[in-house]
Amino acid sequence: MSEELILKVKQMIIDSLRIEDMAPDEIETDAPLFGEGLGLDSIDALQLVVAMEKEFGVSVPDAATGTKVFASVRSMAEYVVEHGK
Amino acid sequence: MICHMFPGQPVVWGAAFQDDDSFRRIAETCCAMTGFDPQTGVSRNPALTETVKLQLFGICYSIFKSEQLASRNPPPDLLAEHSMGIYGALAAGGVLTADEAIEITFRGGMLMAETFSSDAYALGCFIGLTIPQVESIARNNSVYIANYNTSRHVLLAGIASGIESAKSEAEAAGVFSAKQFQADAPLHTPLMGEITADLWIILADYHFNEPSIPLMGHIDQQFLTAATIPEFICSELNMPVYWDKTYHALRKHGVERFIEVGFGQSLAKFNRWIDSES
Repeated sequence: MSEELILKVKQMIIDSLRIEDMAPDEIETDAPLFGEGLGLDSIDALQLVVAMEKEFGVSVPDAATGTKVFASVRSMAEYVVEHGK
Repeated sequence: MICHMFPGQPVVWGAAFQDDDSFRRIAETCCAMTGFDPQTGVSRNPALTETVKLQLFGICYSIFKSEQLASRNPPPDLLAEHSMGIYGALAAGGVLTADEAIEITFRGGMLMAETFSSDAYALGCFIGLTIPQVESIARNNSVYIANYNTSRHVLLAGIASGIESAKSEAEAAGVFSAKQFQADAPLHTPLMGEITADLWIILADYHFNEPSIPLMGHIDQQFLTAATIPEFICSELNMPVYWDKTYHALRKHGVERFIEVGFGQSLAKFNRWIDSES
């Protein structure tokens, strides 16, 4: 997994969720994004679905897939590698 | 321009209760009036339902946040509200005192709980389907759209069994997220007409001042006045919340910054979604 992609995913999260006062390196690569960690919810998840499609051209078809994909920054990056065009 | 926006009641308990002297004072007022302490979550009033407790926590939290903002910043240019957020907005705009806003929330909440106690009601939070899809699902299951929050975020209300079957249909249609929450009453649906006469009797006990800050209503995006507020409070329970239209109207009025004055960040997240589609 390239550090460049990890960084791009973190920046996408910050931009799409309008997280203020946070730099990409403040998001832990393996920390959970929902519940603990960034404390994201279902509204955020749909925003990330749209951002993933726009930024990386990958589709997250349903919430079950989303739960796995949005588990952490690393799992998001892995999904991009596996499903990216 | 800055707008303070007041969210509706939380649907679930969130983070720890506020450990703050200002919140303590508001909580003590609430506790003396209702038997429920929103700081500890402890109730000595067995008649209070979970929904009424959430409503009381929501109004107390909004008043707390509003007072905090007022102590540090100039007043906002506009106020906006979503559902039960009307009571926090009325307190912020000087239409009612904070104590009166808590009291009306309590009396209105109890009225709803008592009136609709014979059936089980629920709310359904659906994320991801289009409005026409959710409207069709609502019709098929004899429930109603209670909140049009964005093009993809909708709240349904109605009989619990109807919400449950609507949730199943939405899941089959590929909804991204569908969650069901217990509720005392079918808020923002025509079924609420049953309490209108009794709610008017409650409202007659209060004097409504003119808002000191313009307050936009979520039904038709008009600014509320002392004369129209009681009618609005009764009508809004029978009609959906149109947050997407309200947000666009506030933008047209020149609002550039929105501050959510309540528990959570749901309105800010709806705004973010609406902006992303513009």
